[in-house]
Amino acid sequence: MENGDNEARDPSGFLTAIIGAPVTVKLNSGVVYKGELQSVDGYMNIALEQTKEYVDGRLHHTFGDAFIRGNNVMYISADS
Amino acid sequence: MLFFSFFKTLVDHEVTVELKNDIQIKGVLKSVDQYLNIKLENIQVLEEVKYPHLSAVKNVFIRGSVVRYVHLPAAAVDTTLLEDATRREAAQAAAKAKQG
Amino acid sequence: MSSPEGDAPSRPDEPLDLVRLCLDEIVFVKLRGDRQLSGRLHAYDSHCNLVLGDVTETIFVVDEEDDDDEVKAITRSHSEMLFVRGDSVVLISPKPQG
Repeated sequence: MENGDNEARDPSGFLTAIIGAPVTVKLNSGVVYKGELQSVDGYMNIALEQTKEYVDGRLHHTFGDAFIRGNNVMYISADS
Repeated sequence: MLFFSFFKTLVDHEVTVELKNDIQIKGVLKSVDQYLNIKLENIQVLEEVKYPHLSAVKNVFIRGSVVRYVHLPAAAVDTTLLEDATRREAAQAAAKAKQG
Repeated sequence: MSSPEGDAPSRPDEPLDLVRLCLDEIVFVKLRGDRQLSGRLHAYDSHCNLVLGDVTETIFVVDEEDDDDEVKAITRSHSEMLFVRGDSVVLISPKPQG
C-alpha cells in the first residue's frame, strides 16, 4: 500500500493512502503522537499502533494502541 | 441514543454532576433529554464554602455541554446489560455508515 | 458519511473499533484540562461519551511556586461508576493489565 492515485485532489484519499505507515499526529494542545496509522474516519478520529507521546518534544508516554478523538487533531503527517 | 436511554434508567437515583468549571452538584436525577441536559432536584453543592452562590438553589437544569462527569451509584448500573447495549449501538452505527 | 470509497465491503477497521475491543477491559483515558482516568470500560458511543467502573482520576496542576521547571502537583480521586462526557476526551488506550 504505497500511494493512492487521487491524493492530490482529495484529503481523505491521502489519509487512506498512508494507512499502515508511520505518522506524526499533532494535537491543538501541542502534544505530538508518533505511531503506525491503523485507521482514520470522517471526524479525523485516529487509531495508532505502537504509539509514542511527546510533550514539549520529550518522550512522555508509550501506548500499544491509541484512539485519538478527531476534534483534538491539528494535523496528520506521513513520516516517510 | 445509548446514553439517553441509560440515563433514563437512572431517574430518581442520587448522582453527582461535575461541571467543566469544577463545581460538583449532588442531587436526585429527575429527567434527561437527548442532549443529555439534566434536571436535578434537592441539590447540594460540594465545597459550598468555595461556591456559595448556589446555596439557596433547590433544583437545577444543567446544560449537557457543561458537564464533565456524572458520578453514578454503581449498584444502579447493570454493567453486562450496558456492554451488550453498547455493542448493539456500535453495530447499528457501523451499518448506518455503510449505507450512506 | 464522507468515505464511501467505491465498494469496500470489508473495511471494518475504523478507529472506534479499537474502543469497542476495550469493552469490559481496563482503559487509560486522557482528557482535556490535564486529567487522566483509568478504569473498566462499560459503555461508549460515537461521541466518546463513556461509562467507566472503578475509576481513578489523576489531575496534574502546574505548581508555580517552587521550581521554574513546572513541577506538577498531582491529585487523585476515586469513583465507583463514572459517566464521562465525550467532548472532554482526547485519547483512549487499552491498559496492559496490572
